[in-house]
Amino acid sequence: MRRSLALALVAAMVFGSVQPALAYLKFGVTVGGAQMTLKWAQTPVRYFVTDQGVSGVSATDLQAAAGRAFATWQAVPTASIAYQFAGFTAAAPGRDDGLSTLGFRSRPELDRVLAATSFVVDAATGTLVESDIFFNSAFPWSVAPAGEANRYDFESIALHEIGHLSGLGHSALGETELREGGGRRVLGAEAVMFPIAFVAGSIAGRTLKADDIAGISDLYPDGDFNQALGSISGRVTKDGQPIFGAHVVAFDVARGSVVGTFSLNAQGDFSAGGLSPGPHVLRVEPIDDADVESFFEAARTVDVDFRVGFIDRIVVVPRGGDSGEITLRVVRK
Amino acid sequence: MLVIVPTLDARAARAQSPAAPQPGRFEVAIGSLWTGHQALGSNDANETTSAGGSLTLFSTSSDLASAAGLEGRVGVRLRRRLEADVEASYARPPLRIAISNDFESAAPATATETIRQFTIGAGVVWYPPYRVRRGSRVAPFAMAGGGYLRQLHESAILLETGRFYQFGGGVKYLLASRPTRPLKGLGARLDVRALVRSKGIAFDGGHYTSPAIGASLFVRF
Ligand SMILES: [Zn+2]
Repeated sequence: MRRSLALALVAAMVFGSVQPALAYLKFGVTVGGAQMTLKWAQTPVRYFVTDQGVSGVSATDLQAAAGRAFATWQAVPTASIAYQFAGFTAAAPGRDDGLSTLGFRSRPELDRVLAATSFVVDAATGTLVESDIFFNSAFPWSVAPAGEANRYDFESIALHEIGHLSGLGHSALGETELREGGGRRVLGAEAVMFPIAFVAGSIAGRTLKADDIAGISDLYPDGDFNQALGSISGRVTKDGQPIFGAHVVAFDVARGSVVGTFSLNAQGDFSAGGLSPGPHVLRVEPIDDADVESFFEAARTVDVDFRVGFIDRIVVVPRGGDSGEITLRVVRK
Repeated sequence: MLVIVPTLDARAARAQSPAAPQPGRFEVAIGSLWTGHQALGSNDANETTSAGGSLTLFSTSSDLASAAGLEGRVGVRLRRRLEADVEASYARPPLRIAISNDFESAAPATATETIRQFTIGAGVVWYPPYRVRRGSRVAPFAMAGGGYLRQLHESAILLETGRFYQFGGGVKYLLASRPTRPLKGLGARLDVRALVRSKGIAFDGGHYTSPAIGASLFVRF
């Protein structure tokens, strides 16, 4: 789901919970009491496009821009996922027909939701059957190559939603400020999967970042992902006790890239894969640039009462291996 | 202070002293090598703004701190004033990353680890046709060389490889000289170098220069 002004709600709430795989936020589904990662078992993922456009975006424009966004995810060399345009359809997204469909729907009551992704899962097997994306035609849209003032860039928003369709949850790699009229304005983001969209007119969200690439590759590893790249793992503690929901950012000092993850269980454990080998700086911060519900189920108690800090040792990511246990100790605010 | 003055009549001096600047054809040395601080560059953790620009989440500046290590060398005299050396060194310099300018006002911090650094290389030593004074045991020299650099992170899980080049000069002082015996001499060497390292731990793959001082004892055969 992509919000124009924040107040995000994570799709995982609808479909289970965040998968406790300790790396990135993936969607999960509970089958027979067991947690399973929500992902496509077979590729290419076939998708349809609703044959209805809106002002400024024809159905053909929609299909072309969505195609570019799908191609961007498919081009990640370390991920195996692929997609295939199956044709236009008269059906609107959101109908449980076994067909994954992208299209516009008018939902003016969702005045802060630009788009959302839904899933149909086989409850017996956990198999992902269908995923639809609706784009809210209550907002102005554009497919202009350079963007258009006051219109949301369809390709950017599609790229985010296709990340969800592929199984990715939200990333917290972004900085925001509160707006006077409510909601948040994005000052900077380093993940397409950040829950809040850039302002209308921006096309900065058309490019995948290191965090997105690591996430999709972790979900659908391909090529030399496991051999050429490495991972970090450890736990976050406060006053000697593990904390849940701390945002851990790994900065690759050589390449200048950032990848984020969270402490994702009661033991405060975190991990992140798909990192380039070499020295990293680790920063840990509370979730404070988007609503906690953008990342976790409302029922989870996320600790945000600690100061932003850095670990005082250089964390080295090995090639094809893990850094070894890292303890990140945070201090109460 | 060491004052180097040219001989008044080099041809005459050579005629009177046909031997090399110091006796022996082979030299084996072991000693310590102090390497000065080496900057490794800066890099920012950036996020992208809506206009496609950058917002700095925090800044980092990296360096390899000064450290003393071991150095060994085997040399062979090729000509009267020219030697070729092969050499190896080992040191454990601390790698430091200073973190500052945090967007959310986190306190500045320094992340560190200790690197294990190995070098193997070759070089030349040239003795200029100058002498401190006739019969002096002091032989000034100029040196240049280079080789391979291996830097192993503290956790020993990742190896960085690179190159080094060095040039400088120094003096050798003969503590004992026995030109007619198999062990022809024992001496001390002191040199000052500019050490250029590339790749290896250098985060941007660039060339970084630091001063280095070598002090060793040698024997000559
Ligand atoms: Zn979303």
